[in-house]
Order: sequence, then structure tokens, then C-alpha cells
Amino acid sequence: MTMAEGLGSYQKLREEGQYHIGGEPLNITFNEIGKRGQRRLDGYEKATGKALYTRDMHIPGMLYARVLRSPYAHAKIKLMVTGRAERLPGVRAILRFDDPEIKGRDLNGSYFAQGWARPKLAGWALKPVHLVLADEAWYEGQPMGAAIAADSEAIAQQALSLIHIEWEELPFILDQEEALKPDAPILRPGAESNEIHDPRKYYEVGDVKKGFQTADQVIEFKARRRPHLWAGAEMPSVLVRWLDDRLEMWVHQQQPYIAKQLIAEWLNIPMGKVTVNTVYQGCSFGGRGNPANHSENGMNVLATLLSKITGRPIKMLFDRRDTFFGESGDMAISDFKVGFNNNGTITAVQIKNIFAVYLAATGIDHFVDNTRIVNLACEATPVDVSIGPAWWARCEHLTSCLSLTLVLDHVAAALGMDPIEVALKNDGTHGHDTGYLDQYKREHGFPDRDSLKECIEVGKQAIGWTEKWHLPGTRKLANGKLHGIAFTWDHNWDDTRGTGSAAVMIENDGSITIIGQHVDIGPNPWTPLCQIVADEIGVPFESVHIKPWTVDTGFVLMSPDGSCNLVTNGNIVRKAAHKAKQMLLELAAEKFEVASPEELDIRDGVIFLKADPANSKPVREIVARALPVHVSGAFWTQPPIIGWAWHNQGIWGQANETDRPRLCRQAHFMEVEVDPDTGQVEVTHVVNVNDVGKAVSPEGVEGQMYGGTVMGVSRGTIEEMIWDPQTGVLLNGSLLDYKYATILDCGPIDTPFIETGLGHGPYGASGIGEATATIIPALLGPAVYNAIGHWVDDFPITPDKVLKALGKIQQCSDE
Amino acid sequence: MLNMATDSYLCPYCSVRLETFNSLKAHVRAEHSAEPLPLPEGIIQLTINKHAYQLYVEPEWMLYYVIHDQLGLTGTKMFCDRGACGSCTVIIDGRPVLSCMTLAIECNGKTIETIEGISADHHPLIDAYIKHHALQCGYCTPGFIVTAKALLDHNANPTEDEIKQALAGNLCRCGTYPQHPKAVLEAAHVLQEGR
Repeated sequence: MTMAEGLGSYQKLREEGQYHIGGEPLNITFNEIGKRGQRRLDGYEKATGKALYTRDMHIPGMLYARVLRSPYAHAKIKLMVTGRAERLPGVRAILRFDDPEIKGRDLNGSYFAQGWARPKLAGWALKPVHLVLADEAWYEGQPMGAAIAADSEAIAQQALSLIHIEWEELPFILDQEEALKPDAPILRPGAESNEIHDPRKYYEVGDVKKGFQTADQVIEFKARRRPHLWAGAEMPSVLVRWLDDRLEMWVHQQQPYIAKQLIAEWLNIPMGKVTVNTVYQGCSFGGRGNPANHSENGMNVLATLLSKITGRPIKMLFDRRDTFFGESGDMAISDFKVGFNNNGTITAVQIKNIFAVYLAATGIDHFVDNTRIVNLACEATPVDVSIGPAWWARCEHLTSCLSLTLVLDHVAAALGMDPIEVALKNDGTHGHDTGYLDQYKREHGFPDRDSLKECIEVGKQAIGWTEKWHLPGTRKLANGKLHGIAFTWDHNWDDTRGTGSAAVMIENDGSITIIGQHVDIGPNPWTPLCQIVADEIGVPFESVHIKPWTVDTGFVLMSPDGSCNLVTNGNIVRKAAHKAKQMLLELAAEKFEVASPEELDIRDGVIFLKADPANSKPVREIVARALPVHVSGAFWTQPPIIGWAWHNQGIWGQANETDRPRLCRQAHFMEVEVDPDTGQVEVTHVVNVNDVGKAVSPEGVEGQMYGGTVMGVSRGTIEEMIWDPQTGVLLNGSLLDYKYATILDCGPIDTPFIETGLGHGPYGASGIGEATATIIPALLGPAVYNAIGHWVDDFPITPDKVLKALGKIQQCSDE
Repeated sequence: MLNMATDSYLCPYCSVRLETFNSLKAHVRAEHSAEPLPLPEGIIQLTINKHAYQLYVEPEWMLYYVIHDQLGLTGTKMFCDRGACGSCTVIIDGRPVLSCMTLAIECNGKTIETIEGISADHHPLIDAYIKHHALQCGYCTPGFIVTAKALLDHNANPTEDEIKQALAGNLCRCGTYPQHPKAVLEAAHVLQEGR
């Protein structure tokens, strides 16, 4: 508070909203927070099928819209004739790429988008030349050419097939190393090179050359991650209607406020004229947030234009194949060089990553965040290829996790050491050892606990590490399969970019409502917010309610991404609750006839005098009688008791930019059985130990841990997008051909999280949504190595690669 | 068909006489494999969640489209787009069926149960799924519950392995799989207690 004194009201709000590093003394009794068995607020609607998703929305008179997609990996429209489509009964409008409303218009504007997201500047992040309806496609499946509104989805789709196009086919390349060759054709319209400019291309700290010279040993190896994608449950859609010059939308967006900013800017109308409604969202893991993908702003633009033309509500729909563009941003070919001493201490790490389409994180980041390694170097080269724009999806740290796991486990393997010993020898941050971290914790009021050691101890017990760990390729089971066991670790996600606002309002009957627009993509976000407000004010959980999408109020909770959903929103509602509580106690002080609200407190929904707790009144009695109400009933509403707050958990970039080390760690253990005859890898047991700092909803935490594990195992063993090398056409663009894990595809998952209070979030919490799914795929590598005694550093680890590593076949399926 | 003179019913196919109209209808169905009063082309009769419906359907309409778009029973979900995920599962004459792969016009005379019917009956699966967090984004959840209900209808006391086998055709991208056997076992237990 003292920092905000003397500031103007806006500056004060901003100052109060900033996160300041440090643990805080907890002045709260946890009644609801951390309680097991709290019935989740979204449960009834979801289990009964009453939950409405964007796909379910329907307005009388609405038309259906579909957009044309390129059948070629790289091609230009020479001539497009739409006459036959126009004449099909039921077709109401066709929007062409050369229509004046849209010709030459970029997918997104540039005012609200951050610098890197601006189409013309976004060399490294996006496909820069990106029109809403282009006449040249640089990947098969790109929305382009025309969009059609019709009486039904089927008619719109049929009309698309009646458009006659003369194409000029252009050369395409699928492999990033091929695309970098000097004689490779340029793939992206207007580009000078297939290498995408990235200001972060080179990273180096210390002196890696010296680090290799002083090392006892140096190893080199190559790894590869092939394309995969998030493929969320609900296919994208949007429903829009114009009411004169006002626009109303039902969006399928994780970040509805950003959707509103983008569409208002594109249409050049005030945000105040746009109402964005959100309903439930079939999971999206961040994948829906790609501004280069039409499922973010593009389909909204097309739907609003078609609605304007027809004067009718428009529902634009993507089908399942339409969702198969937007790969996860970790498609990389990686070269590693690692120097280390015979005791397991790593002296230098050098990584060269060549990314396809786009990179999320360079790949060295987690060595900076998590280790005491002094000499680090990374060269990251993103390259255009003829596949859709990639994006981060649970999450951008995939490459960094893969690097950390492979480097530490390769070192352990080279030394014949237990990988846990190697981890503990290198734990630290920014080149400092754990002594530095201990000092940091003391200086910043954090608990004096060693997160990694605690995670490891819990995990070792749960998996039986001491009894089961063995040297690679040395344990054959009675069923003839090879047993593998592996360990990896990392920091627990403590992403810091979250920002948002919300209000806590005490209604005239004393019940409490959280006001703030927020979408749900699955992690049970609202129950914990109500738990926090309940404990912060001192009322039962049942008194607190949230209406996250009733109205587009302008209060916007942090969107569910970046592992900072609860970390940010918990702080927002906590601050708002404090303000509302203060107003309530000021009102109560009048009723109790005491000099100061400081003399009062609230427990179990009852306000009492601290000096005489027997002197008490229920919250309801104070609020409902705020004004002297006529005996026959409430003729007027009470002055609202409302507190609102804005909170900024930090800027993006984590440790490097905010200079705040991550203190929470996580450790993961996996057992596999590998069939030496078929190459099949079966994950038989996983133990996740995440230090979540503080679990507000224990079941919510566990849900993210086992859910992420299922996704991680799926990514590590079966998920891969495959394009036809002859045509550049995606071969497995459906959920029949692109497999992901079912209930049968992963063995038991243990989720013994720990709570050290070392997170930067409220009550010392850290994030949990992304960490597990991002690390588990990497753990497949050392697990299979431990089973068969050979590295398969090519992900996903499919049976053909295992058989090749075992020397049983000469070639993999795509060689 | 009604012969006023004799007050009996004459079969139009074989001229046999029957005493009541209902016995005539039963005879025509049994002996001639035909409907005594054929419905107009495109009209089907269904029983959905214990309610009778008579609907016009185009020949290419899928049952999913009729249930979700025409009748507004939106708990039946479209996830994979065709035949891969189980989210559109409904129970037809006791069997779990993918409504996205079933032609509506072939469902004439069928008895269908959707998630709305299961929840209206307060089936214990609903509470068990909420309690065990066997849902995250919730999009695939109705499909799982409908499939599990069909299992419990046939197998009141399934093993964990039988539950997994029954649910193996349902996809959940959030990865809630470990919770489903717990929820289904609990629901089975509640049902058995109630008997």
C-alpha cells in the first residue's frame, strides 16, 4: 500500500495491480481453499449435456458459411469463376478474394497486436504475408479464394465444389533442411529467403568453447521432433449478427477480449459497439490463439462480412480436417554438443535447432532457468516449409523440455550414472547453484525448502526407483518384453504474463458474485476463484457465485493459457474481495456503532466485534438493511458493495526478463515395456510429482497432471502429421488417421503433488496446466533407451524406429 | 379393410379375416413384413427419451443432425466429425450407436436414449462423473456417460477392464481417462444399493 500512496487514482490502480516478487505472510484461514470434495461448478452442466458450446448455438434465420481451402501445397489462382456456385439454390452470398471489402486486407490489424504479432513485422512468429482471402496458398488446406453463405452447411460445402478455378501450381518443400538449401525455391510470397528472421537466433552465455576444453568428456548427438497438433474436442465455429451498426458475436475463443479487439480494429468500429458472448469451449490448450490461423480472427472477419452482405446471422463452421493446420511449434531438427566432468557436472551445452515454420522457444531456455551450467549456446533457425502456421499448444516449452531431458539423460548414460544424481549435480538457476536459490528464498520471504529434492524423494518412493532402476538394456521381463525406467525433471511452470480484471460484488441479499468475462477450456477454473473469495471475505463457499459469461462487461479475467489462469485470476479476485470486504466492514461499523471497521471481522458469513465475538450479525442483515427499507419491502436498491481490481502477474519472458528465478520444481518417472519383436512401446506406469506451491483445488491439480500425462504419452508414442512427399497434401487429417491416446493407451498414473509455497502466485501457488503434457513426451526417450540400450532420439518413438535401433530393420517407414 | 357387413377386418394381402384392427395390424406385420398404414415418404416415428416423435427427414440426414440440430438435444456432440470419437453416442434399442454414422431414415420405429434422458432419470452416473472429475472441458463427457450407461444396462457389475474396453471407442483430449472407471464403478455400486 505504501508504494501507492500519493499516486493518482489510475496510477494507484496500476501500482496496486503489479506483482511484486516475494513470498508473503499468509493472513488467512484456509477453510475452502485446498479442500477436497468441493463440487465443481461446471460439473452439472457438462455431465448432463446441458452445457452449451459455440457449436451448439443457433439463432433463428441464421445462414451457414464455409470457406474454400487450397487443394495444393503451393499454388496461385489464375482464374476463379463462381457462376455455378451462385446459381445453386440456397446459396445466399459469395465473398471473393477480389471483392472490394476484402481485397488486399491482412488477416489481422496492427494496432492492438503486440509487435511480434503484426503481420508485416512478424518475421519470426507468423506467416507474414497473410491475407484473409488470399489468391495464393503456401500450404495445402489454407483458407483462401472465397467464402460462401447458404441455407445449410451442406449447401455451402456443395457450392464450394462448384467454384471453377484455374490454378498455377508452384514448387513446395516439406523438410526444413531442404528449404534452407541455396537453390531451394522461395515458398512464402514476397520473401527473400526461406529462413524466417528471428531476433533471438543466437544465444550465448559464458564461453562454450572453454567449457568443452575443460570437460572430461564431450558427446554429440542429433534429435528430431516431427509435427503434431493439439486437435481439440470442439471444432471451431463462430456465430455473428449485426444489429444496425452494432455487432454481436458468439465466439469459440480462449481470449474473447482479444477477439473483440481484433475484430473491432479490422472492421474499424468502436469496441463499444461489439458484444462478444462466450459459452463453454471444447478444449484448446492455447492452440486456438494463433493469430496466423483463421480460427482466431479470420473466420470472425469472414462471418461478419457475410452477415453484412446478407443481412442475416451467420454461423461459420470448420470441419475436422480444417482443424489440421496449426501444428505445435516444436518441429525441429536438433544438434547437441555437451561437455561434462566425470562426476556428472555439465560444463557446456551447445544446441543448434532448425525449426519448421515457426519456433516457440529457442530450446536453451530451461538450462538457463534450471541449471548451474555456466556455458550455454544456442542457434535457433526457423524455416518456412509448405505446411500450415504452427503455434504453441501446451506448450511453447516443448523444445526446451526435450533438450533438457535428452542432454541430462545422455550425460547420465555416457557416465553410467543414475540420472537423478546428474540432475541434482546441475540444479540451480542462471549459472548459479542451489546455494544462490536458498539465499534468494531467504531474501524474498519464501519458505526454506528444496523443491527438486522433495519432488525426487516422493517420486522415487512412488515408483520404487531404488529397486527398479537398472543399466540400459539389462532387464528382460517374463513376458519377453524389455523393461525400461526413466526420470526427468524441470522447473514447475510459473509463467508470468497473466493480466486481467474482475469485480467482487455483494448483492443486496448478502450473496456474493464475481463479475468478469472468462472462458473455460476444462481446468475447472471457477470453483477455485469462488473458494478464494469465500476465504478472503470469510463466508461459506455456497455464498459465492460467478457468472463468467453472462455479459460482456469489460471486466476480463486472464484467459486460460500460459499456466497463469489461477495464478493471475486468484490474485485479481483476492484483491477485489479485499476491497469489497473493506466496504462491507465500513457499512457494518455504522450498524455496530463502532468507530472503525478495523474493530470488526467476518467468519462463516457472520460479522462480529473482534473484542466481543458474541456481538455479531449475519452479512445478509447488514447488507439488506444498508438503507432504511420501508416495512413492506425493498422499494429501492442498495448502494452496491463492489470492489474491483486489476492485476498483472508480470511480463512474458520469465526469468530472463523479470529476473525472478523459478523456485518450484517437478520430477517425473516412467516405466515402459518394449516388445523386441514388434517394437511396440507400452507405458505401464507414470509418476508425476509437481511442486504446485499451493493447491487451491487438489482435484483440479491432479486433473491437469494425469490429463497432461495422457496427452504427453500420446505425443511421445503415436502422434504425427504426415504429408505426401509427392503432392504436399496432408495424409492423415482426421481423427481416424491421426491417432491419439484412448483409455487403453497408458498405464496407471500417480499424481502425488507437493506444496512448498515457493510459487509466485497467490498463497505461493504456481501453474500446472501445461507442465506435464510438455515434459512427458521427452521422457519417452530415456525410458526406451533404458529398455533397449539404444537411443531413439526421433519423436514420436514409433515401432519402426525401435526396430531399427535394435538392428531388426534397415529402414524406417518414411526413409 | 373394414368390412361393415361382417364387422371384421379383411387383410388386403391375403384376404384373411381378423376380428380387431389391432390383430389385423399384427397379422400384416408378421405375415407380410409390411406396415398396415405406411407413413408418407420421409416421415419417421421415433421414441426419444420416452417421448414419441414423428419427423420428416431427408434421406441423407444423419441421426446426429436430427437430434442435435432439429430437436435441439445438444448434449449429443460432434467432435471428430465422423466415426472416430464416440461423442455423438446414443443408445438405440439398448445398444450404444454413433449417431453421426447412422442415417435418421433408418431409425423409424426405434427407441432412442440420449444424455438428456439419462440425466432426466437422475442416473447415478451423472453425480459420479461430477464427483470424480471425470470431465474437464466437458465436450466428450455426454458421449462417455451414454456409453457407460449402455454398459451398465447390460452388465450391472463390470470389472475395471470391462469398463475400459467399453469406453475404448470414446476420445477425450483432456486426458480424463483415469477417472472414468472410478466413476462408473461408483455408479454401478449406487445402482446395486438401490436394488
